[in-house]
Amino acid sequence: MTRILVFILALLLISSFPVLSQTSKPVWRYEGPRVGMDLSRFLLPYLGTAKRNGWEIQADIPYKGNLFPTFETGMQWFDDKHTNYHYKNNGTYARLGMDMNIVKFESLKDHDFVFIGLRYGYSVFNQQTDSISVSNYWGTHNSSLSRHPMSAQWAELVFGMKGELMPNLFFGWSLRAKFPFYVTKDNNISPYIIPGVGKTGSGRPFDFSVGIYYQFPIFRSKTIPKPIKMGGAKHPGLNNGTDMDNQGYGGSQSGGGRQNYNGR
Amino acid sequence: MRYYLIVISLLAIVLGSCTNGNRCYDSVDTLMVSSFSINGFKSIDSLIVTGVNRTDTGDTLVNDRTATLTKRYPLPLSLFADSTGFILNANGVKDTLYIRHKMIITFVSEFCGFAPNYVISGLRHTAGIDSVKITDRRVNTLSTAKATNDQNISIYFSAAAH
Repeated sequence: MTRILVFILALLLISSFPVLSQTSKPVWRYEGPRVGMDLSRFLLPYLGTAKRNGWEIQADIPYKGNLFPTFETGMQWFDDKHTNYHYKNNGTYARLGMDMNIVKFESLKDHDFVFIGLRYGYSVFNQQTDSISVSNYWGTHNSSLSRHPMSAQWAELVFGMKGELMPNLFFGWSLRAKFPFYVTKDNNISPYIIPGVGKTGSGRPFDFSVGIYYQFPIFRSKTIPKPIKMGGAKHPGLNNGTDMDNQGYGGSQSGGGRQNYNGR
Repeated sequence: MRYYLIVISLLAIVLGSCTNGNRCYDSVDTLMVSSFSINGFKSIDSLIVTGVNRTDTGDTLVNDRTATLTKRYPLPLSLFADSTGFILNANGVKDTLYIRHKMIITFVSEFCGFAPNYVISGLRHTAGIDSVKITDRRVNTLSTAKATNDQNISIYFSAAAH
């Protein structure tokens, strides 16, 4: 009998947890600087034929809810050995820019966002080519090009998302189109890879990055950031009832489907 | 988790598109396109071109025994010296032409490597050549793609000597 009572009590206790979690509505929205690492850089040695290694740290901070000033920095080592030349390119780069959230946060605890962004990139690097072999009717000519310090500047158009896997731990990806507008001139070899840009040989350089980030929850607020208005004509009646979600009354007032979204 | 399906599909697309070709599709042959003719509309019945000091079998660059008014051939320039000499045997008469040039090794592409680029700075020739006209001083990997009426140099042999 005692065992049955203990079992029933235990069942009641266990079943009471979801009820407890549902009744404790989120009151504060915690935000702060987010720092992470681009995991895709660790995949580079396995893509392509050349030895390519690097790392990249990315950081952003929320500004007025939907804007995220961003700083990214990294290094890259590239070693490409062919039968008729051996090319090395090593350098450091940094990017500065801004991401803008284009979706609506649905509750105080909702930090998932999809963004578009812009970056300005600057890279300082060295390139060197050894064992250059050129042949024609007159014979084979061997030469090398000594280490040449170079720099490059470019702009990036970014599209991506970041989602909260666990409290303050984010996973994200981004697709980047890169627009180099300055590269130090080299009469012998225009760099076919630039740290921070990637390969420049054919067409528009594109990049894909996957990162994991930690958010330091040092700012708190009771409001859900309002979505950025993109302009355009207003259509009366279309937004009735949904605007309440973004008036900053806290989680208990939000009418979105993810109001009770607590378990991440 | 609403976006993770998109993530997975994007990853698949990106990884799938990473398999770019690793072959050389560009030309790495740098050849000086040269036209040959004899002044006074006399036809060239035979043209044999070799490099100076190249007398071995297989060293002949051009061996054309068909009669035409104008012939057009691409010729390789030296990788080692700042001038290249050719022995031009037109209609059985031997002449020598030296092309003075500056060479720079230039990168073509990742999978093709490097090729020499030249700028022709001058020339010297024997009396059987009446004149040589330089129409394009720059000799690079694109020179062989010139139109049929375009070349780097035009060599006019003397009608009296040929």
